[in-house]
Amino acid sequence: MNADDNDQQSDPIQEARRKFLKIAIAALTFTSGVVLGLPFIRTIYRSAPVKKANWSEVAKLTALPQDRPVSIKFPTLSEDAFVRGHVVRSVWVIKHSETALSVFSPVCTHLGCYFAWNQAAERFECPCHASVFSIDGKVLGGPAPRPLDLLSHKVENNTLFVRWEEFKSGVTEKIQV
Amino acid sequence: MPVIDSVWKWFTDRWPFYPLKHLLLDEDIPGGASYAYTLGSSILAVIGLQVATGIIQLFYFAPTIDHAYDSVSYLRTEVPFGWLVHNLHYWGANIMVVLVALHMMRVYIWGAYKSQLTWLIGIGLLVTTMALTFTGAPLIWDMKGYWAGEVGSSITGTAPVFGGIMKKILRGGETMGQLTLTRFSAIHIVILVPALFFLIAAHVASFRTSGIVGSWNREKRKQIGLFWPDQVFKDTVVLSIVIFILLTLSVYYPAPFTGPADPSNTTYLPKPEWNFLFLYQALKYFKGPFETIGTAGVPTALIGLLALLPFIDRRPERNPALRPIAMLCLALYAGTILTLTIIGYLSPGYAEMPATPAKTASQQPPGAVAASAPSAPSSNAGEMPGAKLFKSVGCIACHSIHGSGGSVGPDLSEEKLKGRNRVWLVRQIRDPRAGNPNSIMPAFTTLSDRQVNDLADYLLSQTPAPTGTEKTSAQSAAAFPEKTPPVPETPVKKSVEAAAASEEKLPGHAAYTIGDAENGAVLFKERCASCHGPEGKGGVLNPGSHDGTVPALSPIDSLFFSTDPRYFAKNIDIYIQHGSVPEGTAPLLKMLPFGDSNALTQEEIANLEAYILSLNKIDRAALIDPGMQPLTFFYLAAAFFAAVTLILGGIWNNKYRHRCE
Repeated sequence: MNADDNDQQSDPIQEARRKFLKIAIAALTFTSGVVLGLPFIRTIYRSAPVKKANWSEVAKLTALPQDRPVSIKFPTLSEDAFVRGHVVRSVWVIKHSETALSVFSPVCTHLGCYFAWNQAAERFECPCHASVFSIDGKVLGGPAPRPLDLLSHKVENNTLFVRWEEFKSGVTEKIQV
Repeated sequence: MPVIDSVWKWFTDRWPFYPLKHLLLDEDIPGGASYAYTLGSSILAVIGLQVATGIIQLFYFAPTIDHAYDSVSYLRTEVPFGWLVHNLHYWGANIMVVLVALHMMRVYIWGAYKSQLTWLIGIGLLVTTMALTFTGAPLIWDMKGYWAGEVGSSITGTAPVFGGIMKKILRGGETMGQLTLTRFSAIHIVILVPALFFLIAAHVASFRTSGIVGSWNREKRKQIGLFWPDQVFKDTVVLSIVIFILLTLSVYYPAPFTGPADPSNTTYLPKPEWNFLFLYQALKYFKGPFETIGTAGVPTALIGLLALLPFIDRRPERNPALRPIAMLCLALYAGTILTLTIIGYLSPGYAEMPATPAKTASQQPPGAVAASAPSAPSSNAGEMPGAKLFKSVGCIACHSIHGSGGSVGPDLSEEKLKGRNRVWLVRQIRDPRAGNPNSIMPAFTTLSDRQVNDLADYLLSQTPAPTGTEKTSAQSAAAFPEKTPPVPETPVKKSVEAAAASEEKLPGHAAYTIGDAENGAVLFKERCASCHGPEGKGGVLNPGSHDGTVPALSPIDSLFFSTDPRYFAKNIDIYIQHGSVPEGTAPLLKMLPFGDSNALTQEEIANLEAYILSLNKIDRAALIDPGMQPLTFFYLAAAFFAAVTLILGGIWNNKYRHRCE
């Protein structure tokens, strides 16, 4: 490097002193950089804790058709960082019998688009990258890495309750986020 | 590494790295490097820190009036090291003003302003720095920031000719609101920060063009030092100290939570940031038609003097010992600002109040007031003793007079007009159920005859307000018709019934907001202590209830307590919002729905909750996810700094010392 290309270079005492000064500058700058930089990175790179979802009332059982997926919208109370309020969510519900139901998250397991039911072809189709799922959620085609995500649900007094949860998209395992 | 070398050559062939490096680093210092010259680069580094912490805060900040405060609180308590980022930004802003002031004084004493243009650009930087602190504070939309923005923009509005336009542009309208916050954040982030960068570049370029001024001593000037690495080393040492001071302040003196902005809460005493105190104090000396001189004239004159300085003093002499008049002017200028700042700091608040009623009258518990208030001479000579009692005994918690007070009971602004007399009022205070068996008003049997009379005097002295309150009294007249007893039978009963099913009720906004416990204490004395006892210690009788007394809040029932301030706040919030009826046959006192009835604002409830938590030794603003406890972090950082310093000392001693002697 040519930091010393001036007339002072000839003085060996000054040269040695300045060599030390450069080491000190580097060391002190590095110290401040680490002490401040590491916490700053931690502040930006964090994953919010998984929130425990509450049961939300979704539908009366009698109103549901037999063996056909229906999309149902329902309000949930959401606490998202510092914002809190009612958010309307949707799920796909299939009533097999009065006691057996499947509740699918409406989010495609590939990249998080919301998929739709194609009644003519009797399959779920994602509009984004053409992932295709059967009525029981199995991958029939497209890039989806895992079957549709089932949501936990319960039936009380002829009413369907669902726990709204979200899962990591694009991976083969079902990981709650 | 030949690959790196060739890439480097490719880059420097196409980009002026060496010319720039030469311009920035290779500079002679007549008289050698000095710690006195380190202030400018410290400012530059703190600006860098402000930019970094500012950007990180923007990753979490929501510039809306209903979420700005909560978003900053969230960053500060629930994001790892968010507390550090926010506190560094807060203290960085403060220390920046100090460094700028010191830097200017240094340049003045060395006579370096004689290079003229560098000094003028520097004044531009000073104004930009002040503007940054002014526009930064309101972004949190807390009590302190709200009032700083409100008063600051009002002052701008008093400037002649352009004042009104400036204020309108700043606020996005005539009043403070959402557009004010949006504009303050836009001005702070995308106007002032780029302006600062531009001025810094101009400042450094101008300074490099005219050369480093160096020592004024002719003999000493013959000895030439180098900017790199001699001066940069000293800069780095000072900068490390500045960063360490910032860390210490951030850990030991974090920025206060002054509670969400609530202009209707009159128990808060607003005051400007310390770096505007001198202007605020100067303003007080210009009254009536002269106010414009204080608001616009003084700052213009102060800045104008600085700008004219290098043109007034054009002698080349730079030795301060030979510039006695210049040194006297500096002492006068800095002394005036310092004195005004100190007077401003010691003065009570924006409005020149003798003392706040909230802090004097309601300081004492009801029992103590009963003994002392009537006999003690009133601090406010003009105020009736009943007026103080109205607040301290707790009437104000449910009743309002001319717009201030609770809305649970009827408005009492026009008792005389309604045909009430002393006998009726005394009976109503002593035994509310004599007039209306369903009354929920507590019987104030502990008051002395004299106190009851004072209260009656005060109520009967009220004359109807000319306008404004007429509407409220008309509303209350409609809600509580003349002929029926004055107690709001139907509305309260309804809310009490609803509150019985409080398990199904949800917490309000207040539960999610970090309030100001200090203000909560003032509110508590005024609005809650009459039933829950002074400092929530309980003991107030509640005949007809299962417990016999109103529940104490300190210590609070373990059912509500939680070490997590968020859950604790939610637990008590449901009761403050929606009220509740104590178990028992016919409880005399009931918890009123302060939130549902708007008797308290959500901001006030948040402050009260912070206070009630503090009574139970829980900090509402406790760090939920600090990343690392501030103290642990501080010790680690200190150890790291110490270790590096020791190692450097060792290297110097063993390898370089003998070579340099």
